[in-house]
Amino acid sequence: MGAYKADDDYDYLFKVVLIGDSGVGKSNLLSRFTRNEFSLESKSTIGVEFATRSIRCDEKVVKAQIWDTAGQERYRAITSAYYRGAVGALLVYDVTRHVTFENVERWLKELRDHTDANIVIMLVGNKADLRHLRAVSTEDATGFAERENTFFIETSALEATNVEKAFTEVLTQIYHVVSKKALEIGDDPAALPKGQTINVGSKDDVSAVKKAGCCSA
Amino acid sequence: MKNSTTTNINHHKEEQQHHPKNDPSTVSSIDSRFNQTLKNVQGLLKGRSIPGKVLLTRRAEPPDDPSIQSPTFGRSFSENDAGGRDHMHKSTEEKDQSTSKRNNEGANMLNPSTSNIDNTSKETHKSPMTARATDSTRVTKFTKELSVPTVRLERLRELGWSGVPPYMRPIVWRLLLGYAPPNSDRREGVLRRKRLEYLDCVAQFYDIPDTERSDDEINMLRQIAVDCPRTVPDVTFFQQEQVQKSLERILYTWAIRHPASGYVQGINDLVTPFLVVFLSEYLEGDVDNWSVSNLSPEKISDIEADCYWCLSKLLDGMQDHYTFAQPGIQRLVFKLKELVRRIDEPVSRHIEEQGLEFLQFAFRWFNCLLIREIPFHLVTRLWDTYLAEGDALPDFLVYIFASFLLTWSEKLQKLDFQEMVMFLQHLPTQNWTHQELEMVLSRAYMWHSMFNSSPSHLAS
Ligand SMILES: Nc1nc2c(ncn2[C@@H]2O[C@H](COP(=O)(O)OP(=O)(O)OP(=O)(O)O)[C@@H](O)[C@H]2O)c(=O)[nH]1
Ligand SMILES: [Mg+2]
Repeated sequence: MGAYKADDDYDYLFKVVLIGDSGVGKSNLLSRFTRNEFSLESKSTIGVEFATRSIRCDEKVVKAQIWDTAGQERYRAITSAYYRGAVGALLVYDVTRHVTFENVERWLKELRDHTDANIVIMLVGNKADLRHLRAVSTEDATGFAERENTFFIETSALEATNVEKAFTEVLTQIYHVVSKKALEIGDDPAALPKGQTINVGSKDDVSAVKKAGCCSA
Repeated sequence: MKNSTTTNINHHKEEQQHHPKNDPSTVSSIDSRFNQTLKNVQGLLKGRSIPGKVLLTRRAEPPDDPSIQSPTFGRSFSENDAGGRDHMHKSTEEKDQSTSKRNNEGANMLNPSTSNIDNTSKETHKSPMTARATDSTRVTKFTKELSVPTVRLERLRELGWSGVPPYMRPIVWRLLLGYAPPNSDRREGVLRRKRLEYLDCVAQFYDIPDTERSDDEINMLRQIAVDCPRTVPDVTFFQQEQVQKSLERILYTWAIRHPASGYVQGINDLVTPFLVVFLSEYLEGDVDNWSVSNLSPEKISDIEADCYWCLSKLLDGMQDHYTFAQPGIQRLVFKLKELVRRIDEPVSRHIEEQGLEFLQFAFRWFNCLLIREIPFHLVTRLWDTYLAEGDALPDFLVYIFASFLLTWSEKLQKLDFQEMVMFLQHLPTQNWTHQELEMVLSRAYMWHSMFNSSPSHLAS
């Protein structure tokens, strides 16, 4: 799992959103995961941005289509439209700014208002490299994640710590659901509805789709 | 000074500093989550049938667009291009040769099959518009216009539309924005008063302890503080601490005085053209080598005040661009979509077929007035035209942005949804010169004259 893969060949496509307060490091987590880049002074995200990366789960190629949204409240009206059809979310706060952790609750509500309640959510405490500035303890965040029934991880986009893991964990969870269900039906994963490739994030809501064998030629 | 370049840190092996109990799998029951997520996925899939295969070919580095390199179209004004473009101004509608020429070109542009940029540039190529007067003629016109006791703003707009000589920008911009009065006798007095007024505002709103601020105000200040270091980070000048402090004071003071919108991310970008233009009265050479540490506090305060007032004037004309849900921007994005449909049917259809929403890319264009999309050294020239448009700016932006977008008309038609989003997020403008920008503006001007005067017959 985790190998880079050519962009044009994949078995599953999952739409994932990155949300959380402005400045917590969403865009840098994304650029670290998709391009292995980090920038010290990155411009604020206006509206939404987008990137993709494929990883391997078992023998399958899972492609993540990741939407990075603006953190400022004012943009909520525009960005929440992009939650539609997401099957995974990384909800990011900054471990050095407690207020960004306090706001996680609001973001969670936002997410649950706009997506299916069963979306896979990963709470992400970013900037873990700034140890001397830490303002949110791991215990507090773990407790919160348990209560809210989300996954939890601490990351550093700067040091590339756990970034890979945060994204792949979310993708793997979604993938397992899909493939496990397929096994139960007693068929290969192609048992899922046929003929779909994907037009995700555009006019269709479809966000986790199995590419049907007949079309992948 | 902080380094603004992107650092590629080698992919460390993911450290195991992760405490076992944080392991996501222990946080909730995997099985129950599987089932929940499955329901979700199935719900999303229900009743869907999506035809075809999406081709996801790796996008090559965008080649230099040959269409934007027609050298003879070089009306790149810069400071040495003089005049010759006044006839381009839309208020100058004399029935001369160039007008009819323009209309001919316009007719071609209506035909979808010829509406790509290559054709445009060829057409323009042959156009006689490249003839122009000399530098000094143009500078003389500005000098003359500025030296009269009461500046005729309409005349200044016509001149300014095609680019203002850099050293005249500070005065011309103040006039065009209505910050400095046209009457030269009153000018110094008004500016002095306004600058004092700004100082008062800063003292009253900014220089106070946090205990005197409301929660909303604290939030706003926090957001501004997050954004100042991230403002035009590719220009190292803006990384200077003093510059960022100025930016913070301007933005916060503006936000407090404009409660209907308050601070909205992206407004920080809009201050930067004003900062470089008003600082250029005191600093010489390349912006990247500027240092504000030698300027007296009084000078810095004056410059800040000018930025503040000019920002206010600029945004007065776009009040609802930054209020809740940003209706002004949404309206313009809609207009842009309509205009593109009328100008370039094929690309418009392609965008629609791919399910790409204009809001996905054009929102940032309107929000930051294209500052994010072109090299910073071209921004002030672009703003000459913005400010010359005055009250008509919001509507004219639609034409500029249509022209900007259709620079890549052909390219876009070869991309699928995902490739288009990525392409439009990072448009290949890094190597743009004045020439490409002038091209965008001229075409915008041309379309504006055509579509604005005869909107109905173009709708077919
Ligand atoms: N030390 C440290 N700094 C980080 C880390 N991740 C991001 N940053 C810095 O935090 C700042 C904000 O990062 P962004 O990725 O732009 O934040 P964002 O969440 O996308 O912000 P918005 O786009 O405004 O919503 C930048 O200056 C980054 O360099 C990290 O892991 N460690
Ligand atoms: Mg961002």
